[in-house]
Amino acid sequence: MASDVSPKEIARAGVLVRIPPALRSYTDGQDEVVLEASDVAAMLHALDANFPGIRDRVVDEAGRRRPYVNVFVNEELIGTSLPDTKLNPGDVVHILPSVAGG
Amino acid sequence: MAGPIKKGSVVVAVGTKKGGFLFHSSDRKKWSVAGPFNAGGSVYHMMLDPRDGRTVYASAPMGSEPWGPAIYRGRAGQEPKATRGAPKFKEGSDLSVSRVWHIEPGPANAPDTIYAGVEPAALFRSDDRGETWQDIDSLNYHPTRKEWQPGGGGLCLHSVLVDPRNPRHLVIGISAVGAFETRDAGRTWTTENRGVRAEFLPNKYPEWGQCVHKLAWDASEDGSLFQQNHSGTYHRGTDGGAWTEVTKGLPSDFGFPIAAHPRQKHTAFVTPLIGAGNRVFPKGQMAVWKTTNSGKSWRRSTKGLPGPGAYMTVLREGMAVDAADPVGVYVGTSTGQLFASRDEGESWKMISDFLPPIMSVSAGEAG
Repeated sequence: MASDVSPKEIARAGVLVRIPPALRSYTDGQDEVVLEASDVAAMLHALDANFPGIRDRVVDEAGRRRPYVNVFVNEELIGTSLPDTKLNPGDVVHILPSVAGG
Repeated sequence: MAGPIKKGSVVVAVGTKKGGFLFHSSDRKKWSVAGPFNAGGSVYHMMLDPRDGRTVYASAPMGSEPWGPAIYRGRAGQEPKATRGAPKFKEGSDLSVSRVWHIEPGPANAPDTIYAGVEPAALFRSDDRGETWQDIDSLNYHPTRKEWQPGGGGLCLHSVLVDPRNPRHLVIGISAVGAFETRDAGRTWTTENRGVRAEFLPNKYPEWGQCVHKLAWDASEDGSLFQQNHSGTYHRGTDGGAWTEVTKGLPSDFGFPIAAHPRQKHTAFVTPLIGAGNRVFPKGQMAVWKTTNSGKSWRRSTKGLPGPGAYMTVLREGMAVDAADPVGVYVGTSTGQLFASRDEGESWKMISDFLPPIMSVSAGEAG
């Protein structure tokens, strides 16, 4: 899906976070949000400050990524280093469920 | 699918592995169904709030499994929405809520209060209809916690009883830890397992460590309780004291749910299974057993229930009673059949088949 925000605007404002459909009830339907954050942990806190409750959907109480939730930065999957992963202005973050079901 | 639910109808909320359903009927003969709600996702527990007869609460993973446990709230017959917050432990506790097993309405004089029992075992309270939650420290970080062991279904807090006489008095049940009781609104808790067997431990009667499967108030309104356990069926008399095992007269000491009559003292229903190693109805005959004397004797009811050849099971939230007169009793199976009795368990009729595996059944009246 193409972003409504231009790369220049993202770079000026911060990082672009793509919101999956299941979590758009927190963002009043917005499918992307631009935030200022220097790492993924700060990005999640900033996201939660704007949309209370959404951080708990990505990480648990101990800050661990939920097992079937994936976070990509510029299409690169972030593994166990999730909270410490650095972000730079212009980065695009995808939060997506992994392939699972039953 | 959603449909209008008439005021005064009996509503049976059914949580299944693939969504929640509301069966409703004004005469308990002809049933309509609304749902599935949260289609595709497991609905572990769903209930109609008896304080207004309109609000439905459900516990289910957000969306589907990946996004963690959530509480859903909505008007009966409409798609419920996830509340902003869900029960969660304090950061730094190293505990993480994996599943909400049970939602219990708070006292009548606090209509916005609900309780949630979760896995790993803990109790949470919300005073704003599920939007925010409080961690009940005195129980959740109880000194015995480090030794708590899970049952086969996990370390789950599945029973929450709020005393209708005194909202500061609660009893909860944890598998496989046992029953705890507070009389000071959760400030302090006592273990309440005297007389309850733990057949799987070297000490058969420990202070705690029993595998309680479900608790229910006796309608006596004097603090009396019923308990279905992994090792027997029990009754506890007026306001405390030891439990009395009342398994004699039942075909086994193993079963999951227990439901008590809402008005008739000393009266309850159970669904004994063969045993822990074979959790199906004995001889392939589905049966509901009823006592009217606190378990001193039991009577078997099979009229309208399937068998022989019905090797099915009922999970711990799988049985409920309504408050109508005569009382209706509802049983859901893990193979997707929902049975109803409109004559206090004397006879039964299947009101739905081919549902996804049923995880919970609760009943109430539409307001």
